[in-house]
Amino acid sequence: MVILREGVCPGINEEFIKALQSEDIKTGVALVAVRRVLLAQYTAFPVSGADLYEELLSSTAILSTGNPSLDKLLDSGLYTGEITELAGSPGSGKSQVCFSVAVNISHQLKQTVFYIDTKGGMCANRLLQMLQSKTPNMEEQMEALQKIKVLRVFDVFSLLACLQNLRSNGLQKASVGGGSVKALMVDSVSAVLSSMLGGKQNEGMSLLMQVAGELKMIAKDFNIAVLVTNHVTKDGNGHLKAGLGQSWSHAPRTRVLLQRIEGAETSSLRTATLTKSSRQACHLVEGFDLCHWSEERRTSISGKRKLEERSKP
Amino acid sequence: TANERPRYRAEESSGRSYRPDCRTPNPFLIQFCIHPGDVVEFHGLEGTGKTETLYHLITRCIMPVQSGGLEVAVVFVDTDYHFDMLRLVSVLEGRLAEGSKEGDGSENESEERVRSCLCRLSVVHCNSSVQLLLTLQYLENTFSSQPSLCLLIIDSISSFYWVDRFNGGESTVCQEANLRKCAELLDRLRRNYGIVIFATTHAIMRNYASDPGVSEVPGSSSSSSSRRWRSADSTTDFDKPYLCKAWQRIVTHRMLFTKSHVSKDHKQVFSTACTSIMTKGVKRCLFHVMEDGIKFACDK
Repeated sequence: MVILREGVCPGINEEFIKALQSEDIKTGVALVAVRRVLLAQYTAFPVSGADLYEELLSSTAILSTGNPSLDKLLDSGLYTGEITELAGSPGSGKSQVCFSVAVNISHQLKQTVFYIDTKGGMCANRLLQMLQSKTPNMEEQMEALQKIKVLRVFDVFSLLACLQNLRSNGLQKASVGGGSVKALMVDSVSAVLSSMLGGKQNEGMSLLMQVAGELKMIAKDFNIAVLVTNHVTKDGNGHLKAGLGQSWSHAPRTRVLLQRIEGAETSSLRTATLTKSSRQACHLVEGFDLCHWSEERRTSISGKRKLEERSKP
Repeated sequence: TANERPRYRAEESSGRSYRPDCRTPNPFLIQFCIHPGDVVEFHGLEGTGKTETLYHLITRCIMPVQSGGLEVAVVFVDTDYHFDMLRLVSVLEGRLAEGSKEGDGSENESEERVRSCLCRLSVVHCNSSVQLLLTLQYLENTFSSQPSLCLLIIDSISSFYWVDRFNGGESTVCQEANLRKCAELLDRLRRNYGIVIFATTHAIMRNYASDPGVSEVPGSSSSSSSRRWRSADSTTDFDKPYLCKAWQRIVTHRMLFTKSHVSKDHKQVFSTACTSIMTKGVKRCLFHVMEDGIKFACDK
């Protein structure tokens, strides 16, 4: 049994020994035990692939966006556990698409949606308008509106605080009340991050990675579909690409570029191009109309479980 | 042949365990001369096929020998919640179906086979470089107790770069401390247990040699020792090595992934160029990403 003394190994000096002794750790064996406890508390534990697969099969859901063309592009809709990104220039309809998807999830699918608004563009009247076109029943409209929870943040630190709050208790509280939270939207993530990037600042990049990490953890741990919006920039060849740079580009699993139709600037028609996807070939394009969100068309259903219209519990 | 049992290869010095030689039958590894004990870095922009190649490797390793696999265990360390189990399973199902052409009856049986393959895979999620370091220390025990583990994959090892860089303040040594310790640990793991380590790094630094224009690189970079890895192929300007020197020292093979061209039948072709410290020159390989995994179209 090795009694801990100064100099018995590098790093152990007088103060360290005193601190250990005050906690009643006098031998090498006890120190090893402390190490074991620390490792057990802070290490991540491996999960067998088979268990992970089981868990995923039972918990992954696909949320339809309500628009058949967009659903086709996204391979049936928004997948829980992933971040989907919508990029587009100002006025291309990103917020409108977010509103439509939120309304669909709260009204058709009867699930709770958290909407983090960073630009001040969230307008309850618009949501009400959309709901009114779906159902004349006031009660249904109110119920759907209640399922959309809006949070307003205007800088990246409040965004991080908000996400961390959601992760630690907000989401659980919301699902206790009867509805389950299935979607989180951040409109837009570039509005708070792009001002922090650039120049020699390391802080901006670190914050960007932290935001990406928080969103992913929320998506995975709570089985939520995360939808974020992003601005666009032009690359070397003059083509549009999503903003926030290379480091952010790894965060979303699926990326869609939204554009107006050339020559028809005042119409509500848009094209969506798939720029990154792990399930479909890239550069698929679908057109749709912002004003007629749910046209009647048959869509194909892929093999996974799909959240469909549910009757009231 | 696919029916050969994997050859066991003893390490050079005494007291080390026998590990299955995971090169057979893995043409990908043989072609790039990857041996047990090597550390391979996959470097590339987003969407260039690094993770797909990893899924290809994983399925090859965990599949049963009858289907052309190795039946060895793999540990996958996921640092940015990137791991797509559903995608891996569809690649696995595709490969298993290919392996057994007689049409094996029921769906239950194929699910059973998938499940038994997946039991050889362990997935760990880390969300900070400290947790990565602690997890690797914990995994050392796993490696010593499980001789069938011969592949360690870290996807990706560069996820904490910016966060560490900010937390380290002004001192480069502080910024790189965690990754340096991880690199030293990985070096010990590969020497003692003869495993192959694959790690992906995201290409986020622009190579100044090609374009001094707008880039994401703040001022000075801590990786001036990139001379060792000056790529012979400068068609891509996002291949600058930026992780700490300790990591660059242990890497034996560096594979650069890029999107190449669109083939005549509208399929995106991806390319990977491999440089290694042991051989001169650059070995290239082309591949497509299909519904059920990677299809190589290799030259040379």
